[in-house]
Amino acid sequence: MYSQIISGSLYGLISEQVIVETDLSPGLPAFNVVGLPDTTVKESKERIRAAIVNSGYKFPAKRIIINLSPASTRKEGTHFDLPIALGVMAAVGYIAKEKVSEFAFLGELSLDGRVNRIDGALPLVIGLRNQGIEKIILPMDNAEEAAAIVDVKLYPVCHLNEITAFFENRMKISPFKKRRSDTKKKNLINLDFRDVAGHENVKRALQISAAASHNLLMIGPPGSGKTMMAKRMPGILPDLTYNEKLEITKIYSIAGKLTPDCPIIEERPFRSPHHTISGPALVGGGASPKPGEVSLAHFGVLFLDELPEFNRNILEMLRQPIEDERVDINRNKGSVSYPAKFMLLASMNPCPCGYYGDSTHECTCSHIQIRNYLSKISGPLIDRFDMHIEIMPVKYRDLEYMKLLEPENSELGCLSEKAVNSLYKDSATMKSEIELARQIQLERYKSENISYNSQLSPSHIKKYCTLDKETKKMLEDAFTRLSLSARAYYKIIKMGRTIADLEGAERIKVMHIAEAIQYRNLDKMYRGL
Amino acid sequence: MNTVKQVKIGDKEYPELLKYISNPPKIIYYMGNIQIASMPSIAVVGARKATSYGKWAAFEFAKKLSQYGIVVVSGMAYGIDSFAHKGAVENNGKTIAVLGCGIDICYPAQNKGLRERILKEDGLIMSEYEPGTPPLPFRFPLRNRIISGISIGTIVIEAGISSGSLITAEYAAEQGRNIYTLPGNINSMCSLGTNKLIKDGAIPLITLDDIIDELGIARSADIDLTGINLGKDEKEVYEHILHAGETTIDLICRSIGKLPSEVNAIITILEMKGLLHTAMGKVFVAN
Repeated sequence: MYSQIISGSLYGLISEQVIVETDLSPGLPAFNVVGLPDTTVKESKERIRAAIVNSGYKFPAKRIIINLSPASTRKEGTHFDLPIALGVMAAVGYIAKEKVSEFAFLGELSLDGRVNRIDGALPLVIGLRNQGIEKIILPMDNAEEAAAIVDVKLYPVCHLNEITAFFENRMKISPFKKRRSDTKKKNLINLDFRDVAGHENVKRALQISAAASHNLLMIGPPGSGKTMMAKRMPGILPDLTYNEKLEITKIYSIAGKLTPDCPIIEERPFRSPHHTISGPALVGGGASPKPGEVSLAHFGVLFLDELPEFNRNILEMLRQPIEDERVDINRNKGSVSYPAKFMLLASMNPCPCGYYGDSTHECTCSHIQIRNYLSKISGPLIDRFDMHIEIMPVKYRDLEYMKLLEPENSELGCLSEKAVNSLYKDSATMKSEIELARQIQLERYKSENISYNSQLSPSHIKKYCTLDKETKKMLEDAFTRLSLSARAYYKIIKMGRTIADLEGAERIKVMHIAEAIQYRNLDKMYRGL
Repeated sequence: MNTVKQVKIGDKEYPELLKYISNPPKIIYYMGNIQIASMPSIAVVGARKATSYGKWAAFEFAKKLSQYGIVVVSGMAYGIDSFAHKGAVENNGKTIAVLGCGIDICYPAQNKGLRERILKEDGLIMSEYEPGTPPLPFRFPLRNRIISGISIGTIVIEAGISSGSLITAEYAAEQGRNIYTLPGNINSMCSLGTNKLIKDGAIPLITLDDIIDELGIARSADIDLTGINLGKDEKEVYEHILHAGETTIDLICRSIGKLPSEVNAIITILEMKGLLHTAMGKVFVAN
């Protein structure tokens, strides 16, 4: 008595087809799973036995052997419950074997026979589709998520009995149709840059960084508004494309971060892990490697608040993912690779007490303390930030003054319209400017393997960022006059390119480079400390 | 390599002005050129933790003094002291570092490069302590009497209300030497001490050239600012900053109604022309 059921197995983001073979033979009753199952799969035996019995069937008192083929790769995940249960039922003859052969099965079982949601449904479905499977039976709770793939028929189920009824033609299950969810698409981002009083310089810097995914470090005393500004970042990032959504949803699916309310990731991720985070949680890991925060921030923003508070070793782990835009995690069970193309946004105080350089509070740190504080962030990591800006707290009297400048009070005529608009620029305006700039970049780099200015390599810079004589001279002068470090050279040119793109200018001009230099504050900030 | 030498109080080379203070050191250990300790010199001292305004001022005053051949004396501590020495060597000027520990000890260790530079410029490093004496807090106020003692005057750049620089000023007053100070904003923690000194009768330095005038040296021709070629926008921003003294880019944008992108670019250009100075998110006038 033999049966075959199709299912899948995940290795990182890659999914492969697995055939669940079941054989019932006479002998002492036993239930064994072979083919390198891990604990979650081995445990499934108990759930399957109870689920079959509680669905009103008799569990066969035979020697049951389950083989997960190919038998040489490791299998893990609770989604094998359903295919194994179906394998047993098909082998006994509760279900016609020939009917199940064109379906693939995914799902976890409850002891009462209900089918529960699983992690990694989307990548599994994509993998099965790529192997040519067109019909998949999966838990109802995962249907919405998997429905992101349109060219495969999904049959969502809630209970084991529904499946038997379906194959006995007692019940009809129609392929899942994606609900028109656009109407209920809630705007998760309700933080607008318009509500930020002052800080127009920081707003400008954040806009530049968002336009080309430049990594940015904000330095300022407590209460100056670093976190407040960072939280408004997702609101100005361009909308996700279909392929980007799919890739992010795959990662979230594996990480088990999808909820019934949010089956597809529609917004750019904004991850802000606490500074007590462990290494595996940041870059991914575990015995069976799960994606970490860097991968969860894929196509979005990774915000590290209070950067020097993070464990130094953990920060160093970020270096390779930032360079390669992916993380390779090697464990003895095998190695997986997760994408990690994120924009790094970080904030820090200028010193441990936070008030170094502040005009209203005295800094109580010694020089040694300040140096130790800064040395927590290594040079190579600082190198990965294209932009550093300083944030000063807004004073109360400025807030009062700014009330007079609000557009509603324009009859007071303190400022030109242009300046008032810049002061009260809202996220929507910023976003539309950013989208234009990104469009220009995508168009320019379509023949290259990159999409943004921040990814430009020195050879790209030679090709795409030609500076005229005057600009070159100015940059040279700036280096000697302002004693900038050599590492700043390419970063300034890249930023200049982005500033020009935001303006829609084809060539990088003197003013673009001059502005870019102002966003390299750290190069001179601690000079001579 | 420089070897440690010593000079006793009766020796011909013993610093001239130091002989007249109330408790001159019996022996001085030194490296470098002891002759310069008897040349006209001015002490530039201030807080270790200084604002960028203070560091800038220390650097510029020292530079100015050495331009006129005056030796700059300081204590080679962090902050103002370091910048005073740096300003002096910038112009290849002579400078004296008076240490509060044995002169073979480089304290703070970070100033190793500066120490070498001082000696290279024919400067002097001296101490009343035997080589090998560790730097301990009580020795620093004591060495301050030497700093003020070998100088004809002392400039206090920035000092909080309990700064050690005020001790130096006190010694200078006891020794009958002139005290000059740099005025600061009354809400700046780092200028409370210096402003108080002005109230008590110290001479405020309100331009870089004041110190030269005070010493009665004929000034070389003034740098003509109008000669520097400024565009219309640059002039507008520069004039605003001249007016405000210390400001931020946000405030400039608001006051003259320009976009941050324009202001940032103009600031860089002005900074390159040496007219401005930016640090810690603030913009200052450099001259």
